[in-house]
Amino acid sequence: MDLLTSLFPWITNGPLIVVQVMSGLSVAMFLFLVSVGMSLIFGVTRIVNLAHGSFYMVGAYLLVTLVETLPQHPLMFWVALGLAPIGVGLLGGVIEVTLLRRIYHREPLLQLTLTFGLILVIGTAVLLVWGPDNKSVARPDALAGSVRIFGQPFPSYYLVVLALAPAVAVALWIIFYRTRWGMLIRAATVDREMLGALGVDVATLYTQVFVFGSWLAGFAGALSAPTVAVALGMDGDVLTTAFVVVVIGGLGSFAGSFISALLVGELQSFGILVFPAVSIVLLFAIMAVVLIVRPWGLLGRPEE
Amino acid sequence: MADPDGALVLQTVGLRKHFGGVQAVGGVDLAVPEGDLRAIIGPNGAGKTTLFNLITGDLAHDSGQIFFRGEDVSGLAPQDLCRRGLARTFQVTSIFRRLSTLENVQTALLTHHRRHHDFFRPARRLYREEAMMLLDRVGLVGQAAKPSGILAHGDQRRLELALALASQPQLLMLDEPTAGMAPRERHEIMALAASIATDAKLTIVFTEHDMDVVFAVARRISVLHQGEVIADGTPLEVRGDPEVQRVYLGQRFRARR
Amino acid sequence: MTTVRAVGWLVVLAGLLVLPLVLPSFLVVVMTEIAIVGLFATAFNLLMGFGGMVSFGHAAYFALGAYAAALLVKQAAWPMVLGLAVAPFAAAAGALFFGFFIVRLTHTYFAMLSLAFAQIVFTVVFKWKALTGGDDGILNVWPPEALKSPRAYCYFTFAVAGLAILALHAIVDSPFGMALRAIRENPRRARFIGVNVRRHQLFAFVLSGFFSGLAGGLFAFFNGSVFPDFAYLNKSFEPLVVALLGGIQSFFGPLAGALGFKILETVIARQWPVYWPLFLGTAVVVVVIALPQGFVGLLQRRAWRTPTAR
Repeated sequence: MDLLTSLFPWITNGPLIVVQVMSGLSVAMFLFLVSVGMSLIFGVTRIVNLAHGSFYMVGAYLLVTLVETLPQHPLMFWVALGLAPIGVGLLGGVIEVTLLRRIYHREPLLQLTLTFGLILVIGTAVLLVWGPDNKSVARPDALAGSVRIFGQPFPSYYLVVLALAPAVAVALWIIFYRTRWGMLIRAATVDREMLGALGVDVATLYTQVFVFGSWLAGFAGALSAPTVAVALGMDGDVLTTAFVVVVIGGLGSFAGSFISALLVGELQSFGILVFPAVSIVLLFAIMAVVLIVRPWGLLGRPEE
Repeated sequence: MADPDGALVLQTVGLRKHFGGVQAVGGVDLAVPEGDLRAIIGPNGAGKTTLFNLITGDLAHDSGQIFFRGEDVSGLAPQDLCRRGLARTFQVTSIFRRLSTLENVQTALLTHHRRHHDFFRPARRLYREEAMMLLDRVGLVGQAAKPSGILAHGDQRRLELALALASQPQLLMLDEPTAGMAPRERHEIMALAASIATDAKLTIVFTEHDMDVVFAVARRISVLHQGEVIADGTPLEVRGDPEVQRVYLGQRFRARR
Repeated sequence: MTTVRAVGWLVVLAGLLVLPLVLPSFLVVVMTEIAIVGLFATAFNLLMGFGGMVSFGHAAYFALGAYAAALLVKQAAWPMVLGLAVAPFAAAAGALFFGFFIVRLTHTYFAMLSLAFAQIVFTVVFKWKALTGGDDGILNVWPPEALKSPRAYCYFTFAVAGLAILALHAIVDSPFGMALRAIRENPRRARFIGVNVRRHQLFAFVLSGFFSGLAGGLFAFFNGSVFPDFAYLNKSFEPLVVALLGGIQSFFGPLAGALGFKILETVIARQWPVYWPLFLGTAVVVVVIALPQGFVGLLQRRAWRTPTAR
């Protein structure tokens, strides 16, 4: 016990652990939103949207602009939070209809290359529209401070994220498992051709899924904007982490994304305490271990 | 099963595999002696290809054992089985389509001779004569330079046979070798396989639907039905087996007697 | 080799020898870059065109080579040539480690995991300021006096890259290369002729990483400095675009692609640096949409025309 305590002085610090767990959960929430969008799109359309990180970034930038242009009012932040992801969803819709529709029947690697190209296009577009400087947006006044949890400070904004987390997860679950649309999506992940043969308009379903997935990424980006520096290069950072989450959880698996996001979120949170600079390597180690045992991720299925 | 013809090249004991709730292969005991020309027949869904895949390591079996030349090879990877002398062809022709016919065989040869980690020599000069000899044996010398993907179906089957032979196997497993061929071609290719078997002292196990081919070529037949062996013996014995007739051969053969 | 071909090669060789002498300095610099990018893309194409494995994170090995060379020269005061000699081995070590995990997957997962690993290299380089200087990079990584002038370094690069490309050519032509192409065509059949597919692919991955690291090392001294974005997405994209542009079905395609790519970049990126990624991304999107049969189609069209297809 003494050795442990000297290595990890916080280990007996109960309140600190609780706060770290909670902040890990908030991180997990962002990761979950981004990854579930990517996972969803892959599960139905079999396309890995590499530009997903770019959508996240656009969501953050849109929030900044909306907060700046909308009239000053405490509620306006939430309005902006509602609008920003819609913009990203629209962007996703345009991309799906004009570009992705033409390549669904092609090789997966071709599709990957196209979305790879989109990263560059969207990245430059963001640079042209918003300029090279970092942006920031303040948290809404009501949530700018922190509360005390067992005596430890915890940012209030994260509390909201934490409260939002189960809400969003439950909403997604309801959508996927209790609505007709969700049933169609789940059917599509299993057998697209059959679905088309049954008279379902698969093309429109794909568009809807892509828009929804983009919306999720945009929502994650907008939600995270008050907590990070909104800058170019956000797309690459979040893409890496989302990748790791999605690879560990398994592409196409809703539950996999959830579990994996929790794992990675907590790891990042505690990793900072243990080995700040090396948390990414720890992440990689976990990913490696998972891949040795289950090459398709925890809950993923092998490719066709 | 005691066997008077000599050492067993292939033996399975209680081989089982199920998918979900379905028993695809249920306790198959197979004993193939050296020099045998064994046909495995059975109606569609009897488990023939599954059995093949279990033996050649494509599928993991649930229980049972597989012996190759006396050695327990259950669970070995395909490349290890190949090195021990087991070669196979597939129901859907499996060759290297964008390589030329000659290159296909050259690749198989240089792999067999463990030269495939050589970085320095130009490969196109290696094993040309041996490759041409193999192509000659299967009747493909004229097609040597063509990309194998554009060969006629029957020629691609022959090429696959040559690929299998390149590793100088003791046992050749042919999964529906005559699939997609016209009747005359079927007899030709099986006659070819049989003559190669005699020359090279090779054992052949093959699955087949065409009964004419089976009865013309096979020395022994194993009949599979719903994942189990229901008869095992010479063509005459199998033909006369009431169980087989009932389940599989049907009216046609009963009338023939 | 036919006479026409031999003459063609002689012309190319003569050009390589003479052009650095007659062209103005800034074009000599461009030629050096073409050689480096050409080497990188050729090494990449060993995996893609010949091995059928598309890596989206090859910048990792380029960066590992560049940083290894830079660190050895700056921190350990090694002579440039030694630093350059070790660079590919550092990259190969990375390729061995990452490749072990990556080759267990195929196609989409392979590409994605390779990208993830490259991003991890980027993040580690970025954050480990003590060792790598982080965002500031490592500066003043110059070749020795004798090789410092653009012309001298150009000849040096031609020599090193040229030898490396010859080595890659030998590898592609060798039994190793033939077995690799067989795996590309039909992994299952390759197993059944006795090839340990995963191990073979790992070898190819390491070789590809080795030569990518050499390109990175050459680039470090060419550029005079190394930065974390050597490991970033954009850099990983380069060999892919270059190889596609020049043709992945032939060995020298990527070199031709490097020539075309650099010319475009010189023209466009110098005038409008902000728009270069936009142009690149758009070009890729357009090319992808316009290729009727995708990557495979490119391979097939050429293969059917010539009987002794590679």
